[in-house]
Amino acid sequence: MMRGAFTLATLASVIFFPWPLTAVLMLVSSLVEPLVPLAAGIFTDTLYYTPKAGVLPFFTLFGALVTVVALLVRSRLRTGIIRG
Amino acid sequence: MKKIFSAKRNALLSSATISWGGGALALVLIILLVRFAAPNIFWRAFAPVFHAADTLALASHTFAASFGTAAALTLQNERLTSENSALASENQALSQKIVNISALSGFSVPQQHASGILAGVLAHPPVSPYDTLVLSAGSTAGVRKGMEVFGAGGVPLGVVETVLADFSRAVLFSAPGMSTYGWVGKASSPVTLVGEGAGTMSALMPRSANIIVGDSVFVPGPGMLPIGSVVRIDDEPSSPSVTLRIMLSQNIFSIPWVLVRDSGTALQGPLFSATSTLP
Repeated sequence: MMRGAFTLATLASVIFFPWPLTAVLMLVSSLVEPLVPLAAGIFTDTLYYTPKAGVLPFFTLFGALVTVVALLVRSRLRTGIIRG
Repeated sequence: MKKIFSAKRNALLSSATISWGGGALALVLIILLVRFAAPNIFWRAFAPVFHAADTLALASHTFAASFGTAAALTLQNERLTSENSALASENQALSQKIVNISALSGFSVPQQHASGILAGVLAHPPVSPYDTLVLSAGSTAGVRKGMEVFGAGGVPLGVVETVLADFSRAVLFSAPGMSTYGWVGKASSPVTLVGEGAGTMSALMPRSANIIVGDSVFVPGPGMLPIGSVVRIDDEPSSPSVTLRIMLSQNIFSIPWVLVRDSGTALQGPLFSATSTLP
């Protein structure tokens, strides 16, 4: 339930709310769903990115970075639990 | 040997293997595909969603404003009304002055009127993070790539960068990476304006230009059109130049409509690169 709520809230914030809130939701949702930041980043750049307005699709890169970090943290936590 | 079938052990499809994040990523990739394959259909589908977002923003703003005291709101309303009438009178006086001067000098000044294609704004900052505007007018309405976008009062805002059948996207002059030529200050010193995002721009000027906070910034299109003003000057004692921080005069975080017209902006880049008279 919480996973679905975070996922939907993050994707909806791309259209309904300012981008700083979207960035915060991407960080928060990465705790429960690591792929959501990447999805939200791609969604944001799909809607708003234009090559002339920016050198790189910043939100896709930010989402990918957060996703990678979240996956690494989760893998380390799982390993830690097994060892414990 | 009897095989036991279990839906949970289905190797191809199982609800346990499709997470919310995976589903969202798949959905977004499909949306991305539609965006590139059929961009006009894509924006037609999302336009009602953006309208709903604007309606929600307006409703929340009205709700938040209702908590303000009626007396304070009334005073603010009266102050804004008087400012508006004063500006309208000043505008009228200046227009008359132009007419009188042109009559004395013998030159006829063409009457400036706000012509152009009226386009509604679907998405604007801060929802749009790259200082871009998504407009609800496209090639069928006459919009072409390179046309300039103007806000209320004829304030230049940006340039149309992408055009579809029914929609278009304009990049604001304040978008990161955008470079625009203009003038600043009472002496109309030529300057190169660089977009910094969030409706702000910057420019490097020699210290001897004597630019002060509050000086107006102009861009061409036609004549000198005011685009904003200097709000801060970053000064390093060891540097011979100063950095001007410029804020757009138009509030780009709340633009319901714009005018799109051809002002020759598309020619500025090739013109300045073809000549040696760079500002």
